[in-house]
Parts: sequence; C-alpha cells; structure tokens
Amino acid sequence: MERSDRKIGFLSAVPITVILMLSFTAPLLVVLLFSVMPPKVFTLAHVPDFSSYGVLFSQGYYRSLLWSLGTALAATVLLFLICWPLAFAMAKVFKGFTLFITVAVVITLFVSENIRLFGWVLTLMKGGLIEGHLRAWVGWSFEGALYNVPVIIFGLVYVYFPFMLFPLVQGISMVPDDARQAAADLGATRRQIFWEVDLPLSAPGIVIGSLLTFVLGAGALAESKLLGGQAVIVIADEIETAFTYGQNWPLGSALSIILIIIIGSLAVFGVSRVDLDKIMGRRR
Amino acid sequence: MKLTRRQFNKTAAATVGLAAMSPLHRALADRNDQMNILCWEGYNSDEVLGPFRDANAGATVRAESGTSDPDMINKLRAGEVNVWDLINVNQPWASAQLYPEKLIKPLNKDRFMPYFERMLPEFSGPYPLAFADDGELIGMPQRYGPFSFVVNTDKISRGMAEDQGWKLFLDPGLNQRYGILTYDNWNIMHMCLTGDQNPFDPMDDAGLETFKGTAEAVFAGAKLLTDDLVAMNTALINGEIDAYFTGGTYTASPARLDGATNIRGITPNSGPVDGKGGVVWIELTSAVNNPDPSILAEDFLEFVQDPEICKAVSFAEGTYNPVSQMGDSKVFAQYDEDELDAIQWDSLGEEMARSLDYQVVASYDKLNEIYNAAKRG
Repeated sequence: MERSDRKIGFLSAVPITVILMLSFTAPLLVVLLFSVMPPKVFTLAHVPDFSSYGVLFSQGYYRSLLWSLGTALAATVLLFLICWPLAFAMAKVFKGFTLFITVAVVITLFVSENIRLFGWVLTLMKGGLIEGHLRAWVGWSFEGALYNVPVIIFGLVYVYFPFMLFPLVQGISMVPDDARQAAADLGATRRQIFWEVDLPLSAPGIVIGSLLTFVLGAGALAESKLLGGQAVIVIADEIETAFTYGQNWPLGSALSIILIIIIGSLAVFGVSRVDLDKIMGRRR
Repeated sequence: MKLTRRQFNKTAAATVGLAAMSPLHRALADRNDQMNILCWEGYNSDEVLGPFRDANAGATVRAESGTSDPDMINKLRAGEVNVWDLINVNQPWASAQLYPEKLIKPLNKDRFMPYFERMLPEFSGPYPLAFADDGELIGMPQRYGPFSFVVNTDKISRGMAEDQGWKLFLDPGLNQRYGILTYDNWNIMHMCLTGDQNPFDPMDDAGLETFKGTAEAVFAGAKLLTDDLVAMNTALINGEIDAYFTGGTYTASPARLDGATNIRGITPNSGPVDGKGGVVWIELTSAVNNPDPSILAEDFLEFVQDPEICKAVSFAEGTYNPVSQMGDSKVFAQYDEDELDAIQWDSLGEEMARSLDYQVVASYDKLNEIYNAAKRG
C-alpha cells in the first residue's frame, strides 16, 4: 500500500516538476546555446564556433570580471567584520532589542535598491547633504565622495548588509552557551574561545552569509553605475552592453556563462561544506 | 499523506480548468480591440494614452517604454512581433534593421503623406529617412532633437563651446571636469567626430587606430560615467563637472524647465562631415509586422498628429522635446515662453542646420569593441 502511495505521489508530482525544471533550465539552456554561436547572430540555427569565449582575454573582459569578483570579495570581508559584533549581540546579548534591529533592517528592503542608492548619491555628492551643509555652516568645501572604487564597495556593503547579518545571527545562535562557558572554565582565553569555539561552530552561518553577499555582489550593477560613476566597468555592465548596444547576444551569453560557472562552483563548494539542515533548525 | 483517487481526479480537473482559462483562446480572437505600443517614454503617459482610450472605449491600450533603441528591437527579435502593434525608435533603425528584417511593415501613404505638409521645413520635404529604399513609408517622425554635448554656460560660454566643438573634450583645461553619458551608440558617433572622422563611412585600420586614440583620451579625461541623465544634470548643476559628452535638448530640457537655464545643449559650429559637427535624432513610429494586426495601430499614429496630443508627446514626463508638427501654427500655439526656452527654440533651427542625421555607423561592430575596451580603461 505504501509503495503504491509513493508511486501516486511521484506521478502527480511529475507535471509540476517538469514545469519547474523547464522554467529553471530552459532560459539557462538558451543562454548556454547562444554562448557557443558565432558572433552577432540572433537565432540558434548556426554552427557553434565558441568564438565568443575567446574575446574574454583578447578584448580585456577578464578585467571587468576581476573587478566584479574583487569588489564583491572586499565587500564580503568588510561585511563580515562589520556584522560579526552586531550579530553576536543580536544572538547572545540584546534579547528584545534584537527584534527592533531585525525590523529596522528588514524595513530598508522594502525600498528599491536604486532609490536607496540614489539617496546616497544625494548625500555624498558635491552640494549634497554633507558637503552642502558643511559649506553653508562652516565654509568647508571639498569634492564629493562619489565616482571611485571605495564608494562602489561602500554601496555593496550597504545594500547587502542584511544578507550577511541574518545568516550570521543564525550561525552564532547555534553556538551553545555551555560550550563557551566550558571553554572559559577550562582556562581558554577570549581569543581562544573566539577562534576555537565561536568561529567553527557558527561556520554554517558564516558560509551562507559570505556566499550570499559574494554571489549577489559579483553580479551587482547599480552600485558601480549610480555611486561609482562607472569608475570601473563591472561584468554585469559588460553583459548588459553586449546584449543592448553591442547587439551581440552570443558575447553577452558567453560572459554570463563564465560568471555563472564561477559563481555556481563557489556556491556548490560552499554549500557542500555546511550542514544546511542544521542551520535551518531541522534535526535529522 | 495518502492520496485517494478522488483527490487525484480533483487536482487533475483543476489543472485542466486553469489551462483552459489561459490566454490560448485569446489568440484566436479579433485584435481590433487592443493596441500595444513599444516606445520611448512619453507615448506611454496618461496625457497621451488617456484621450486615446476615451476615444476608443472598450479597447485595451497598453504601452511600454524602453530604455534604449537596441533594447526595444531585441524584444521584436525575440519574438514579440506578436505582441506589439507600434514601435517608436530613432531614425536609422527602421530603414537599416527593422524593415529589412521584416519586423515592421509599410504605412498607408494615402493616409499619412498629407501630414508631412504641415510639419517644420526640415521634415515637410518629406523627411527622407521615413522611407525605405523601396520607397515605402515606414515610419512617422514626431519628436526630435540636436544631440551633441551639454555645458554649464556659467563655466563655459555658449560661443566658446560652439567654436571649440568636440575639441573641448581634448582640452587639458577640461581634464576631469566633464562626464560621459554612456549612451554608447551616440558616443561612438561623437568620438569619431571628435577625431575629425566621418562615423558613417567605413573605417580602415588607420581610421580605427585614430578612433582608439580619441576614445582613450576622452575616457581618460572623464570624471564620471553614467547612463542616467538626471544624475549627469545634477553633477553639472552642483559644479562637479562643467560639461558632459553626449547630450542635447533631450537631456538638458528637464534642468532648463526647472530653471537651470545655464545648462545648455551645444551643437558645434563646424565639423568633419560636410562642415557639420552635430548630430540630430528623429524618432520614427512604425507599424510592427504583427501577424495578427490591430486597426488601432494606424488610428493611434493619426491620433498623435492632433495639436494637443502633439504637445502632450512633446512635454511628457521626464524629458521635453520639440516635435516636427510645430510647423503647424495650431501646434506651436500650445507652447509658452518657458517651454520654448526649455527646448532651446531660439537656436533650434540653426542647430538643426549644423547637425547630421543620426545614421547607421558603418563600422559600428569594430568601433564598439574599441570603445568598450577604452571604457574599461
């Protein structure tokens, strides 16, 4: 009886599984197929020639890729350093205040990213909130803080803050207080407790938070466009240009596939190292 | 959980029911009660669509604005010819790509040729790029504007900017004092003109090398790059930059109407192609080659020739632009002094005379590669 139940369950799940598989994989498959087409074609009815992958190096697209990965890495490291103390306090110290911080951070997500970034443009630009007030009040005048690489990283840190904070809180709350107390009783210093208890036991949260921020940061576009004045051209920008002004779908697809492979392998590697069931609070 | 046969049948029946309600059956219906337009911002505003909806009660009128010509054309290429009835893009795309690829179809000449007679002199000829090589009318012109570069006239006088033309951006005095509006297809034309080259002629290796030098120099001297005209105008108004590369009435008019009349689109006095150094864009609205066409498409095209609607198109949200129909006194009477000043009406005629038509750039693919490499730095 149980076997036939399972069979019916499987059969009735087939249609939706097929639809989901198609809707997830079909667009990716089209991108993959376009990426091996000769340049500047708009249909898949051509002999594949893989030439679009060659231009990654011949035309310097690797630089944009490195900028994207570099700024994402910098933002991830900074976010970890910034979020750790706050996450620790939220998980172990604040109690009721944690809810307040959670709501406050989540509320920012209700406003579109572009609008929030434009708010920063108005704050940081020359004649903006900061420089404008200082000039009016004390006569200080200086160039705005926009249009450079540090401000792009600042933008990434700002936008992806919740994506690091909440997994870290979750990760740190998994560290049993008993373990920390036992370590202290056995003479461990605060530094030792941090390195040998807190960090390893909250690793799943750290991995998830880092993966989320890095993956999102590597594909980010608005920060470099709005805040950075395109001081560096990121890979997402190149992909957009290839599809639009370049009218070169195979090139855009090849650049996308390269980014997907890099990010995908990182994600698979990261996720395979952590126990997702554990962080979701499920017992096996 | 156990799944009984009855439950399974129920689920299956619901699925079939949902599928039956899908838009499949709509494809068989008459489309004369709907019209979809893919356009630059303005045609999708309530001021334009509202009266058309009132005049065609019961019809479903939808409009979507694109962010670039190629973006909109991509949609048609990707199979959306079934969806759209009209497309509104700049002049070279219709004759060079859309019509040859059968993405748009000819308009009824008997119906639309008379409208050219009431247009401004530049268009009443009639305007040549509205026609395909085979003589068919493939689009109606409406909004247009000289598009070269923009300066803050408090920092750089209009006379000096017009005299210096594109060389302004190679002047060491302006190093790190200008922005580049990344309308890439425009920048490629303008960088050719900066290097005294004709963008519309095919380029040999020496020409490409010259272009590379110009592109690298222009990018190296730029303080910021953005594709957002509001951000660019803001930087110009608050003094972070004194000028920006690629811009014109389209980008300067919102700031001008807000009172910042020191922000001005500039057309160079001279240039390398027939003595001209400026470029003008002219939108053409064309009928999409929809296999299931709607009669409302041409109705709409006729509707936007009405004086009040011309003004609504001209002063829709975002940017303000002159329209070819301003040759008709009834249309012209719709504008007040500030609005005419916002679109630089005082110099519009002479700027048009100094501007080349935006055409297809012959060596675009190679130039685009060089341009993007230079942008990467």
